[in-house]
Amino acid sequence: MSKKECIAMLLAGGQGSRLRELTKKNAKPAVSFGGKFRIIDFPLSNCANSGIDTVGVLTQYRPYLLHAYIGNGSAWDLDEPGAGVTTLSPYATQEGMREFAGTADAIYQNIDFIEAHDPETVLILSGDQLYRMDYAKMLAAHKAHKAGLTIAVMPVPWEDASRFGILLKDDDDRVVRFDEKPEKPESNLASMGIYIFDAKLLLDELRADAEDPRSSHDFGGDIIPKLLEEEKPVYVYEFQDFWRDVGTVASYHETSMDLLGDEPKFDLYTSEFPIMSNVSTRPPHYVGPEAVVEDCLVDNGARIFGTVKHSILSTDAYVGERAIVEDSVLLPGAVVKDGAHVVRAILGERAVVEENVKFGSVDTTKDTALAGDDVVIGRGE
Amino acid sequence: MKSKAIGLITANYKTNVPCALSKRRPMAGLPFAGRYRLIDFPLSNMVNAGIRTVGMIVPQNYRSLLDHVGTGRDWMLDRKNGGLFILPGTVYGGTHEGFRFLLRDIIDNKAFLIRDTADYVVLSGSNMVVNFDLKAAIVAHEASGNTATIVCHRASAINDDTTALVTDGDTVTALKKGVKYGDLESLDYCIFNRDDLIDVLENFADADYLSLEEAAFKSEAHYKIGYWEFDGYAAGVFDAKSYYNRTMDIRKPEVYYALFNPDRTIFTKAHDAPPAKYFKGSVVRDSLVSAGCRISGTVRNSALGRGVIIEPGAVVTNSIVMQSCVVQSGARIENAIIDRYNLIPSGTEMRGTPDDILIKEKAEYV
Repeated sequence: MSKKECIAMLLAGGQGSRLRELTKKNAKPAVSFGGKFRIIDFPLSNCANSGIDTVGVLTQYRPYLLHAYIGNGSAWDLDEPGAGVTTLSPYATQEGMREFAGTADAIYQNIDFIEAHDPETVLILSGDQLYRMDYAKMLAAHKAHKAGLTIAVMPVPWEDASRFGILLKDDDDRVVRFDEKPEKPESNLASMGIYIFDAKLLLDELRADAEDPRSSHDFGGDIIPKLLEEEKPVYVYEFQDFWRDVGTVASYHETSMDLLGDEPKFDLYTSEFPIMSNVSTRPPHYVGPEAVVEDCLVDNGARIFGTVKHSILSTDAYVGERAIVEDSVLLPGAVVKDGAHVVRAILGERAVVEENVKFGSVDTTKDTALAGDDVVIGRGE
Repeated sequence: MKSKAIGLITANYKTNVPCALSKRRPMAGLPFAGRYRLIDFPLSNMVNAGIRTVGMIVPQNYRSLLDHVGTGRDWMLDRKNGGLFILPGTVYGGTHEGFRFLLRDIIDNKAFLIRDTADYVVLSGSNMVVNFDLKAAIVAHEASGNTATIVCHRASAINDDTTALVTDGDTVTALKKGVKYGDLESLDYCIFNRDDLIDVLENFADADYLSLEEAAFKSEAHYKIGYWEFDGYAAGVFDAKSYYNRTMDIRKPEVYYALFNPDRTIFTKAHDAPPAKYFKGSVVRDSLVSAGCRISGTVRNSALGRGVIIEPGAVVTNSIVMQSCVVQSGARIENAIIDRYNLIPSGTEMRGTPDDILIKEKAEYV
């Protein structure tokens, strides 16, 4: 196959257990987000908008909907000759079958895919992050540094720094130390889990790592510390824009709320760097004669007869008469029946809150209420 | 299973009544219900019946229509076998009003019919807003042994623009222009045996400006033309008034669910518009709103196309505002149809009346 400058490998196989019921039937990257998108739309759109046309998506946990959604990548204009989106799942060999044992092992098991495209560099991405990033700029920095590995980092509040992988760099942006979740952080530059590797270095390291019985086969835990130990040229690329991990129920809810307001932190409406999605064709939404809709995002196919404030109504969501929805996210097809009251809640796809039932609490010390896909919330629940 | 039918859509005709909406585009290309165009209804009814070979007869001003349909991918019509065929329409058909199936348009594209081997051809116009089970109609046609079967319904209103079926038992004996309440009104879908259709075309090869229906009835061969009655929502768009009424109909739940039945999707060109955004202070009542809209002002009893911006203090009442329009602060729109890409400046008032809907023609603002 042809020589490529850069291909992307998107890690989309994790269970996403911190999203609880949202990932019960569905892989995390396929979870609906922002009214009409699925989480994987963000990295795939970033690839398309950055001119990266070859993406391997590594899947393992409940991949059906994710595979069906990705298709051949045409929804992101990635169906280019000799390129496109390829889903890569665990497979059998003459030695038997084994699952992906870690992020590095997932890539290691798909070295064939990388070699077939013979790229100069490999971009490693996660499937659970919301951000808009031009990877071409990161690639330019990687090349300018003649780096073996470039790690995208962003400054986080100092009080949060101990929750992240923290990097210390010198004046030339070269990494001098990597501390995984340090108790006393000496920097606030957090790894975003976005890496560009020199392809040859990556393959050599992955092969060595696979032979190492003590390794847990993880980029953050094994590969990066080893590269630093060997004094390989590892650099950071500092990213300043909006970036969120939406891997927990709390962060999913908070990031959803970040899309609302007069000047949202993440602008869905810019045409320069559009977020593309594999949409189903649904008609415009309808707002009824008595409805009140304030500070909301509402997608096609929704029908609103009650009051909805500071919330996201995804495709085909329904809010009945006298119902109230506040500070909540209704995923596609979720139904809030007449007189029900939903507050600070996430309703999964096609979940139903029965008539006059209250779901969720305004008390912010309590967890965000969550109903999984297809769950019916009746009285006494 | 491979369909026994192919489709042929006449997408090249103007309205019966000249109107500003169809001045620069055929009716088939008219934006409808926020994100659709009228052509989406015949295309979707056909593909939902399993048809994967569709000819679309286009007028001279086909730019917007082809921009919309592209390769037919959004209707599953980008096929190796079959697919979407763009067929040129006659100048006559495109400049005169009121045609459905001009014989000359079909004769000129006879190759499309001859090269296929399907048993049936479903002919369709582009004026009807209807979502129906065309496959059931094809099955009924096949069982009937008829030459052709016209899809119709019981008219619920007088309409000078549609065609009534004169019947004798299960046979259509004649067609007449204009329908009265209770008449069988043609929905401009007709299932024809392909061989018989080719015969008609050959027999009337010199008849230039006859309609297909007239030719079929004049034909010396003893064609039997039947009908298949549909009892769901169906209504035509022939002028600004009916366009306005059809759009407003969609606010009724029974019409919304009949047209946008999830079992028979009306397909259209895919867009990546984000969800609509409602700002604090927006007031929206009894309205249809498309993706990508951003609303700060007031919208009542109206329909908004994709990406419309309603600024704070702007008021839109009883109106249709099409794709990408901007209604600036303080502007007021009432009983109007605002075609695409219009910028309505602050302080402007655009008022029609319920009987005389004001039309603002398509603009070039982007």
